[in-house]
Amino acid sequence: MPARAAGVWLSITALARREGAAVAVRHVVIACAEALGAGAALSVAADHRPYEPLFATDGRSDELAELQTTLGEGPAIDAGQGNGPVLAPDLALPEAQVRWPEFAPMALARGVAGVFAIPVGSGAARLGVLCLYQEQPRALGRDQLDTVLLYADAAMILALDDRGGMAPSTADLVGSAFSERRAEVHQATGMISVQLGISVTDALVTLRAHAYAQAQPISQVAADVVGRRLSFAGQFTTFPQTAARGQTGAETNGNGSASPPRGPAPPRQQDQGQDPEDKDEEMEGE
Amino acid sequence: MSPSDRLAWRAFVKVADTLVADFDIIEFLNTVAEYGVELLGVSACGILLAEPAGSLDLVAASTEQARVLELSQLQNAEGPCLDAYRTLTPVICPDLAAETGRWPTFAPAALAAGFAAVHAMPMRLRQQAVGALNFFSAEAGPLNAETTELGQALADVATIGILHERAIRRHEVVTEQLQVALNSRIVIEQAKGVLAERLQVGIDTAFTALRGYARDRNLKLAEVARAVAVGDLDIPLPADWAGPPLPGPSPAG
Repeated sequence: MPARAAGVWLSITALARREGAAVAVRHVVIACAEALGAGAALSVAADHRPYEPLFATDGRSDELAELQTTLGEGPAIDAGQGNGPVLAPDLALPEAQVRWPEFAPMALARGVAGVFAIPVGSGAARLGVLCLYQEQPRALGRDQLDTVLLYADAAMILALDDRGGMAPSTADLVGSAFSERRAEVHQATGMISVQLGISVTDALVTLRAHAYAQAQPISQVAADVVGRRLSFAGQFTTFPQTAARGQTGAETNGNGSASPPRGPAPPRQQDQGQDPEDKDEEMEGE
Repeated sequence: MSPSDRLAWRAFVKVADTLVADFDIIEFLNTVAEYGVELLGVSACGILLAEPAGSLDLVAASTEQARVLELSQLQNAEGPCLDAYRTLTPVICPDLAAETGRWPTFAPAALAAGFAAVHAMPMRLRQQAVGALNFFSAEAGPLNAETTELGQALADVATIGILHERAIRRHEVVTEQLQVALNSRIVIEQAKGVLAERLQVGIDTAFTALRGYARDRNLKLAEVARAVAVGDLDIPLPADWAGPPLPGPSPAG
């Protein structure tokens, strides 16, 4: 586990332990605010409805989060619609005043000089925005911004598990946080969303819930979905050949000829390239 | 101008042309990767960017073959890209078979995937690295100094492309832009999954359909992918799709 990410999770779990509570989204928001010396608020979107503040470290941060939703304007709104962080280190600058003509003066009037808004989500799966409010106009260093991004990742994981009614152990939670990044996880999320006719956000929740329930790494469950050994269509169906645990991803697909026991729409072809025997077909003609 | 000079010149002009306002970062990096294959005479090229925790994520490639994707993922632990990223210098490895000591996991995996040589060029911004370009070759053999320089120049172009949209007044802009690229890639992977399931085809074929749709209509790949991933857009199989395995995207000519 990379050192900075470990530090972030440590600060979150330490906070929860001090409270004697299970790790929750609010611990992420508080730990992030402490790390940055700023106020923080997490706003979440419930299916196509506007973002609503879920938790804030202080009254002013809560008010400014609410204000942005009401005005439909501000860094948090832009971050929620865009593809990356929206950083406004100095709201007094003309560019900020022009971009957020209503919000910028109102924030300044309340003693907030800079706002940093970070999307909470993964690709098209969007859960909300983590927004930091600071009193002094100052830019975030690259290290600081990386740290904030890691808190946003942690917030996403906890929000997802919360949405799915899951209460994983801290070890499961932190373990899952570090098997998130593989391409198969994102591909499997897309596949599950079609299999169950749900959003990619809920598909990600489903994927995580299944991994916890089976005590498997998320990346392993994802590889099974992409390899079409596991389908969520209709109901939870685990194909027999994946029942044995402890096999590596490369080996589980050894029996590539087995017909998938799935109802509605059997795969027309399989060219994921997961199967070592497929390698020749993938060679590129140079 | 020698033929290779001409090729290089053409590539850089093409890449520079891509740098217009409101360009598509992922499609731009895919173009860079395709030219990397052509210019360096290698089999495949992948572009990896550093995410906040410091691991390297693949964001673009000359081909979406699973073996290239998997070899990229392996390099969060070890490999030429990680070395190039950490040392800020090109890593030239003409013979992978001789490097199993240096990269005990990566080297055998790359050999098993049919590659004999691997090179990596850092994407540098001042004293920092933001990622690396990875070149895979089916044949063993060194890169000469000139070709190495060409590869590094291409890595520099890729870096400029990521940052070009805004003047680099603030260092955090780098991270902002990296986040946009990394997140766009996640959306593309999700869209590949959606299409693979909807059309009942493999992940590679799904990508070909996705990319073909965007290119034919001159749309941004990341935007088409987002529309597919959230269920706003349904993409059919290409009309000329003739059944079993579609070839991966061929290097642009």
